[in-house]
Amino acid sequence: MLNPKTIDDTSIDQRVYTLNLGPQHPSTHGVMHLLVTLDGEVVLKVEPVIGYSHRGHEKMAENRTYEQFLPNPARMDYLSGMIFNHGYCMAVEKLCGIEVPRRAEYIRVITSELNRIASHFIGAMDYAMGLGAITPFLWGWDDREHILDLLEGITGSRLTYSYGRFGGVRNDITKEFYDGTRRFIDRLRGRFWDYENLINQNIIFIKRSKDVGVITKDVALDYGVTGPTLRGSGVNYDVRKMEPYSAYPEFNFDIPTREEGDCLARYQVRMAEMEQSLNIIEQALDHLPPGPIRAKVPRLVTPPKGDCYCAFESARGAVGFYIASDGSRIPYRIKVRAPSFSNLFVLTEICPGHFLADVIAIFGSIDVTVPEIDR
Amino acid sequence: MNITQLPYLKDIYAFLGSDVTAGIVGLLIIAAIVPLNVAFLVLVERKVAGHIQLRPGPMEVGPHGILQTLIDAVKLLGKEMVTPQSTDKLIFFLAPIIVVAPAFVGFVPIPFSPMMQIKDVNVGILLIFAFSSISVISILMAGWSSNNKYSLIGAVRSVAQNVAYEIPLLLATMSILIMTNTFKMGEIVQAQSSVWFIFYQPIAAIIFFIATTAETNRAPFDLVEAESELVSGFHTEYTGMRFSLFFLAEYTNMVIAAAMFTVLFLGGWHGPLFPGMIWFLIKTYFLIFVVMWARWTYPRIRFDQLMNFAWKVLIPFSLVNLLITAIVLKVL
Amino acid sequence: MPTAEPTKPLENVRNSLLQVIPEAELRDRDYRECGYHLEVRLVMRGMRRVAREMKDRRFFLETITAVDFLEYFHLIYLFSTYNEASFRVMARVKLLPEVRPFSVWDIYSEAIWLEREVYDFFGIRFQVHPNLKRIINPDDANYFPLLKSFGKTKFTTDIDDILC
Repeated sequence: MLNPKTIDDTSIDQRVYTLNLGPQHPSTHGVMHLLVTLDGEVVLKVEPVIGYSHRGHEKMAENRTYEQFLPNPARMDYLSGMIFNHGYCMAVEKLCGIEVPRRAEYIRVITSELNRIASHFIGAMDYAMGLGAITPFLWGWDDREHILDLLEGITGSRLTYSYGRFGGVRNDITKEFYDGTRRFIDRLRGRFWDYENLINQNIIFIKRSKDVGVITKDVALDYGVTGPTLRGSGVNYDVRKMEPYSAYPEFNFDIPTREEGDCLARYQVRMAEMEQSLNIIEQALDHLPPGPIRAKVPRLVTPPKGDCYCAFESARGAVGFYIASDGSRIPYRIKVRAPSFSNLFVLTEICPGHFLADVIAIFGSIDVTVPEIDR
Repeated sequence: MNITQLPYLKDIYAFLGSDVTAGIVGLLIIAAIVPLNVAFLVLVERKVAGHIQLRPGPMEVGPHGILQTLIDAVKLLGKEMVTPQSTDKLIFFLAPIIVVAPAFVGFVPIPFSPMMQIKDVNVGILLIFAFSSISVISILMAGWSSNNKYSLIGAVRSVAQNVAYEIPLLLATMSILIMTNTFKMGEIVQAQSSVWFIFYQPIAAIIFFIATTAETNRAPFDLVEAESELVSGFHTEYTGMRFSLFFLAEYTNMVIAAAMFTVLFLGGWHGPLFPGMIWFLIKTYFLIFVVMWARWTYPRIRFDQLMNFAWKVLIPFSLVNLLITAIVLKVL
Repeated sequence: MPTAEPTKPLENVRNSLLQVIPEAELRDRDYRECGYHLEVRLVMRGMRRVAREMKDRRFFLETITAVDFLEYFHLIYLFSTYNEASFRVMARVKLLPEVRPFSVWDIYSEAIWLEREVYDFFGIRFQVHPNLKRIINPDDANYFPLLKSFGKTKFTTDIDDILC
């Protein structure tokens, strides 16, 4: 077998050919270009080509004040926009030493977990669609609509949120949001059975997913894989438990893991995580403390000289904001560690030897958001 | 000298009188029914898909979206039929035509009711099978001439799939044929006047149903036109009316397959109260509904699993079934 | 319940790193202030030894990034662990412009693409890299976007106060 890391594009044989999956393709999540070298139907090498959605966020950060950069993190991974937004606020608060009131932390946790559920609906159901089951995909979007309506009520946007501010959040939650979330939790708990029945018990689904695209612990360590992709391989790593931030230490939740490391395991981890997120939201709503929703922060934030790295868990893995400040209102350097960047390149290691249809399945199960890779 | 006294001229007149007229009338009926049928089925598919996916489907055009297909057909007629530059022009042009022709021929021997049968061809079943094998060639022609890697992969997969699944199809049909000793579809239906064959041959019925879903490239065997992998498979490069010809052929093949299942296993037009034709149509469309239902429930099978299933599961089962049928018939 | 304040791993990692690179400057940092536990400062060389030591201790390479300080670069590697307690090591090596550091792709495979990204944005060329070409910017670009001397940054023009 050729070494996938050092191969170059010469056809060894008449049967070997290159196929371009993307950049425009019905199944790649975003503008993703996979150069696949095939021998018949067996994959020899997969090379992802990225950069189609590059918008220069890190350069933008060097030209705007900290407040002006607030809309940008949500655009990086638009499916977990709320989590990125809160994470950026957290990074700046860490640098400046701002303390966030408890009510704001709870609200941040509730909205982040709702966002995580919405993102997992797309992640898990997009995997099913890549296999050919279009129905669960549409059911997932139906459930996701409820979350988007809830969040639109308090933040004003459906996908790219700018709800967090340094020191807290912008608006308080309304009674509508509170009641709506309670109703949503009850409704969703009943719906999991539908998905279970349609997908988990489906023999074709299991045959397509079992033992396909196994990521071992060594490969995961080598590539820096995090998130549900890692937890499907048996490693119990979640930033919310490992480096607890915000209000997470006060909640009781599990980190679902599976041992096998194949596509089915990753899918099951995502579905189980949705249930855990529902638990967190319920506990947060039960114990929501009263109080201010925003700390007193100067209008233009000026962090002291130095740098800091703030890690948090998005729906795709461990994100990190590295901020280097030179004491002025404008950041000197902001680097975003995108989990999809590391998760994506695992494809080059595990795809060779599988069939073409499996490449789509594995790519869907890794759940990558392309604009996060390109920033 | 009277013309009717010359013997051969009398035969020629008889032929011109009844058979050719019957033939022309039959062709006109087919030419009318097939597009109407396809139009109806496309709408049914979209509505069924919509309701399974918790949404209403097309609702805009006409009450509850009934006129949707009509408008779609008008739209497709107006689209430009683009021929990419580096294709093999003759084969590219012929492929959609060849895929449609067997679909029309397949309607000829099907007995919709005791009277409604265009011609009770004495090799009826064989005729349908023979012509449906031609459509495999047309898919290969379409995939090859498009000069597109996706189309070629789709076409190659389709050839392998069709060839593999024809064998259990034929073996299951043979189990029925040795029971009735005839290829004529009218007589097969007559033989089921007391008990439908599905009760005598349940395994053959299941194998036939699965194999025919694979032959018509419907999910879960639709990796030939797998949307998420191959964009559109072998008809990626076809636009406008040519694309709609492929669609026409697919839905017509579905109807012919369902009709064959009805004739072979479900007793054709036999049924208590209503006239025969209504029962035939009810059974056929119910089967088509089941096929659509399966499409929106199951994901796609992978290619190697598909071939394994055909060669290692379906063929042995159908061979054993045929053997048991032959032994039982010999003994009884 | 894993915490972010480890005591034992700190000592072990610190000692083993001191053994591997005696010339590095190690500083213990407060996790709550800056998000990492140990900072390793190198000058011009030594990153491969740090990476090898981190890999042997089952740390994963979180990211590689660079900061442009006009007269020199800081090339920053972040290592973190999957294990019981969290521990993050930030290793920075101070590079003069035109210096070509060695790639760590044979230790961490992910570094192939992370280093391509650093090259793409800063122009830092890595030695012994299998495929050092641009990854995110257009393939025929002749600029390195994140350099302070490129485009509109604070050093070249003032920020528009209209935006505030």
